[in-house]
Amino acid sequence: MADVATAIKVMLKGIDRYNPENLSVLEPFVKSQVKENFCDLSANLAVLKLYQFNPSYFQEEIVCDILLKALEALPSPDFSLCECLVDQYHHENPQIGRLIFLNHLLQTCDFRLFWRELKATPELIEGVTGFEDAIRKYICQTVSNSYQHIKAETLQALLGDLEDKDLDAWIEKNGWTRTDDLIFVTNQEEIIKSRNIVDKVNFDKVQSVMISGLHS
Amino acid sequence: MASYTEEAYVEYEDGLQVSGDTMGHTGDPTLDLEFERHRQVNVPDAVQNYLQYFQKALNDQNMYELESYYENGWNQLTERYYATEAWPEAESISPFVGNDALFLILYKELHYRHIYARIQNGPSQEQRFKSYYNYCDLFNYILNADGPVMLDLPNQWLWDIIDEFIYQFQAFTQYRCKLSKKSENEIEILRSNPKIWNIHSVLNVLHSLVDKSKINEQLEAYNNGMDQESIVRVAGIFGHHSLYKMLGYFSLIGLLRLHSLLGDYHQALSSLENINITKRSTVYSQVPECQITTYYYVGFAYMMMRKYQLAIDTFSSILTYIQRTKSTTLQRSSQYKMDMINKQTDQMFNLLALCANLYPVRIDESLAQSMREKVGADKWQRMQKGDKSAFEESFSFGCPKFLSPVAPNFDAGPLNSHKEPMIHQCKVFLEEVEQQAQLPTIRSFLKLYSTMPVEKLAVFLDMDVDEFTAQLLCIKHKMKNARSGKDQEGQLEVDFYIDGDMVHIADTKIERGYADYFIKQIHKFEELNLHIKQLK
Repeated sequence: MADVATAIKVMLKGIDRYNPENLSVLEPFVKSQVKENFCDLSANLAVLKLYQFNPSYFQEEIVCDILLKALEALPSPDFSLCECLVDQYHHENPQIGRLIFLNHLLQTCDFRLFWRELKATPELIEGVTGFEDAIRKYICQTVSNSYQHIKAETLQALLGDLEDKDLDAWIEKNGWTRTDDLIFVTNQEEIIKSRNIVDKVNFDKVQSVMISGLHS
Repeated sequence: MASYTEEAYVEYEDGLQVSGDTMGHTGDPTLDLEFERHRQVNVPDAVQNYLQYFQKALNDQNMYELESYYENGWNQLTERYYATEAWPEAESISPFVGNDALFLILYKELHYRHIYARIQNGPSQEQRFKSYYNYCDLFNYILNADGPVMLDLPNQWLWDIIDEFIYQFQAFTQYRCKLSKKSENEIEILRSNPKIWNIHSVLNVLHSLVDKSKINEQLEAYNNGMDQESIVRVAGIFGHHSLYKMLGYFSLIGLLRLHSLLGDYHQALSSLENINITKRSTVYSQVPECQITTYYYVGFAYMMMRKYQLAIDTFSSILTYIQRTKSTTLQRSSQYKMDMINKQTDQMFNLLALCANLYPVRIDESLAQSMREKVGADKWQRMQKGDKSAFEESFSFGCPKFLSPVAPNFDAGPLNSHKEPMIHQCKVFLEEVEQQAQLPTIRSFLKLYSTMPVEKLAVFLDMDVDEFTAQLLCIKHKMKNARSGKDQEGQLEVDFYIDGDMVHIADTKIERGYADYFIKQIHKFEELNLHIKQLK
């Protein structure tokens, strides 16, 4: 796959990136990202750009795959970058609209509702390797940012009602420690505390003044 | 490879024939002749002389005089003779300049630019087409030569050419989508000329200028600290000529702008991968408009990528520069250009306000004050309360004129679809505002306490615990994403963490510093000094 990725990188340099014939290489590449669980944002945006320039080539299925990949990339802002390139008129499309809704739930960290909604439409992520785990990884990051200790049942719910042994695996993966029902995430006290900031003058700021001092 | 990549500067030959007989002043040859003769007689002596001197300066490649004719002469004569009507057609002035083909191309560029800027109701369809052909002629001349052309133009002029080229393309896409007031004939001509002002042609011109000038290779060499001699070697026979180098550089900025207008912010920023905009020393500082445009689009792209800290830094940096140099370096002889700069400044203050509300960090005090003035106290307060319509107003005022790269459906009836791209981008932006809708209220509650049970706070806010917890995580997620690096931790006014059932809140007090103030005053003084020296 690495060869294809490199070839595509070369292809997308310069004016040839706007050649609609590229879709015959790029579309299968999207498919293999879905199947083999990796992501190439630049290539995917190039696909969306070609659809933007050539609306008759538009393929709903490919666009949905790209948007799913963008959800997996959270917390990176990939999803809105893709949305900006998918014409407004396609947002009405039920599949795409559904993905926009799921993005909203993930962005507002309403994880409990997200899992419920996802369960309601399982066909949406059929064949997407590693989708749920990618989302769990993002949720764990958010938990890391926010919690010092979190209750096991809360974490379990946020991660989509995981089984106990799966929950333990995620705790271990993140280097957290569990004592009974409480999980220690990280020492936030050290990082987040009230403080007074005194104005500091760094070198960059003074540099410009010093340079002009030399010239005059 | 598909043939579309070649169309940019080959197509115009048959294009002219297609449109030649369908357009024209009146369609009646004798009347047209009369019309031309009438114009010809009316070229005032002062204008004739001016054009002849201008032409001489061009042929002598006297940069100093060229600059003066271009900047001052043109604007003075415009005010005197052509404040409300077009400059003479190229055909009418051709005899005075001995049919000098190159001069006429450059003259026509100015002629059409003036029509776009000054003539009421804007250019006609014919003028839009002709202006496009003229750009084809100009870029053909520069790009299709076997060796570098022996021509140099002031940087300001080269920037204006690229800037105007993209502007006219953008104006055309808007024009093409406004079908409600067009005659059937006009629509028919649009339909049968899909290649004119085509997105591929425009991209092709910009990419060709970038490639020909090897500007990316040059910038890379420069960034790697290579010496002048090696950079010249990298540049090749075209790239070391100032004309090509500068056109290449400005084309990179052009690509930044064009991709932004299409909503492709990732590609927009990657056009600048070899340009470090925080280094003021690089070439672009010679043309202030280029600098302002660069910062505007970079800041905008960061905002749309939700990198609010970077967007705030970018806007703050350029707005400080504008405030400082407004009465000195930025003074322009043309009111039109001054208006453009003022408009873009107001736009950036609005964008800054959007970012500052979605990511409430400290902004330079004097800048924050001007921002609130420009946005207006009422709208600012509405934004602070999370009023979506206030965000929408500032966005639609501050955003660039987005465009659709494809022609509208000409058969769909007399519809105007030119605003759709803007509505689309605005909608995506407002999703972020919706996601953050509750955050201002939650923040204002957090500010009041240092520790508090999650449950109790949730009751205060009239939410259930799960809903409130989600919102707390949302604040953390949004603020983390908006930061550009680790070093900015602690810039936020309120921060917190959750420990089991408790929220622990930290607030940050910032002491007012004087260093920024003094540095700003020193710069201001320098600019003034420089200006005084130039006056002598």
